Amino acid sequence: MIKLDSLNINYNDKNILKEISLEIGGHLNILGANGSGKSTLAKTICGLVEYNGEVYINEKNIRDLSLKQRAKLLTYVPTKLEVYDEFINVEEFVLLGRFAYKDSFFDYSDKDKKIAKNTLEFLNISHLGSHTLSSLSSGEAQLVSLASALVSQSEVIILDEPTANLDPHNAKTIAKHIKGLKKYHQIILITHDLDLASYIDSPTIFLKSKSATYFEKYEEFYNEAKLKELYEVEFDGLVVRYD
Amino acid sequence: MIRIFIWSSLLFILLASGFVGAIWLDLGEVFTQETLANSIFFELRLPRVIYAFSAGSILALCGLLYQSLFRNALMTPYTLGVSSGAILGAGIAIKLGLGSLAFGIASISLFGFFGAMLSVLLLLYLARFLKHSHFESLLLLGIALSLFYTSALMIIFYLGNAIQNDMLLRFSMGSLSIIGWNHPITISVIALVLFIVIYIYRFELQLLSISDEGAKLRGVDTKRVTLILLLVSSFAIGVLVSVSGPIGFIGLIVPHIVAKLHKKPTNKRIAKTALFGGFFLVFCDTITRAIPTQSELPIGIITALIGGPFFIYIIISRSKN
Repeated sequence: MIKLDSLNINYNDKNILKEISLEIGGHLNILGANGSGKSTLAKTICGLVEYNGEVYINEKNIRDLSLKQRAKLLTYVPTKLEVYDEFINVEEFVLLGRFAYKDSFFDYSDKDKKIAKNTLEFLNISHLGSHTLSSLSSGEAQLVSLASALVSQSEVIILDEPTANLDPHNAKTIAKHIKGLKKYHQIILITHDLDLASYIDSPTIFLKSKSATYFEKYEEFYNEAKLKELYEVEFDGLVVRYD
Repeated sequence: MIRIFIWSSLLFILLASGFVGAIWLDLGEVFTQETLANSIFFELRLPRVIYAFSAGSILALCGLLYQSLFRNALMTPYTLGVSSGAILGAGIAIKLGLGSLAFGIASISLFGFFGAMLSVLLLLYLARFLKHSHFESLLLLGIALSLFYTSALMIIFYLGNAIQNDMLLRFSMGSLSIIGWNHPITISVIALVLFIVIYIYRFELQLLSISDEGAKLRGVDTKRVTLILLLVSSFAIGVLVSVSGPIGFIGLIVPHIVAKLHKKPTNKRIAKTALFGGFFLVFCDTITRAIPTQSELPIGIITALIGGPFFIYIIISRSKN
């Protein structure tokens, strides 16, 4: 359960979201135009952005949690995996997701290593284990990013436009995994991809004009009239009209 | 194969270094009591080799640290202006004509140390005004500060007399000429402490070398860890620069060479980087003593001659990527 209480977020001296109060009991899709505050909201829930108001996860105020406690509760998968260290390989990278569980000084335990290995197997990317991150394709990198989130075994997984840089084949692979993960995790999905949002089929909030509109079922907004109203652009059925 | 060749060559140079210099020493005489070779080796050369090794380790470790923390291949205390700050501090001490201060510490060293520390603090203060992930701007800030310190130093040169200017010039060229065991012991202990601190935080550093956000999300207190690592490394650099003057490029090139040689992630390169830095500076120092000149070549000149072209290579290879 995630509870946002009178949340006000400023980013670069600009007010992004105003007085957002919301209770998220289960899965959630977050939609909205560019700059509407989707990623900022997600990062706020993760405690990465300064904010006014309160954020509770399972009735615990995130301000009162240590960073390790937060890491065990929720994890965030960015749109693009960017890593400076060009020699870290997939196995080593995924293992870093277990940092919150390890004793500070000592190496990752055998249990941590086993969880990382099993996660790579679960996502069918064991063969990439010894590859460096810099050698991965976008689709592979996104799966590795997802693996790194899964090893943290956190209750909540926030995915920030996970299919934005992917071709349809890779997008489908990721989408299937996300759908499957709904059984085990609370999934919060940020996306521009309306088809993906409808496939994942979670309750949705649409961010617009610094506030959020809630839709219990995707059918409530996944129609020509509503999409036109939300995005302020002409649609032909469910497809944007370009001419 | 190349790895074994490079490491064993450097080890050989380390072992041979103490015998090389204005007077080349004979192995048999060195270990014979009360010979000139014996006293040169144990009172001059051995402390110097240990000093050079420890200094090289500190410079290389600081380079690895800065590059990982700021996720930029060009970040070192040298490129961020910390060394220039130390020279300015030493220059002020020389201009003021201060001798030894409290506890017998030379004022040049003390002012050099404070110069380094203050320039780190100023850099960190100014960095707060930069957008979070703009480390390129931080590098430019370091270069701007470096130019500012150099200009201030020029004023000291302009106002100084011949003796003061000569002292300052020699200090700014960097030198490993030391007498006795005090400095080697101090710098070795500092190198060891720096290594231990970085090793304790190796997993945090690995996460920070991926991204600040990524590290925080996985449970690293990024602000605290960054501050601890920067303060400890600045202290080490401050003390080193205050004794030796600036020795550039080691921090820039050694972490890159070790990364290319071993292709391992940051947390598995710490010990190798410290060792390679030590070996490499001993190698450069051996060159300065092996070349027959009227007086010994300053070490900073050799490292800059090797490091300059390497710096250009890094910039070009980065732009290709």
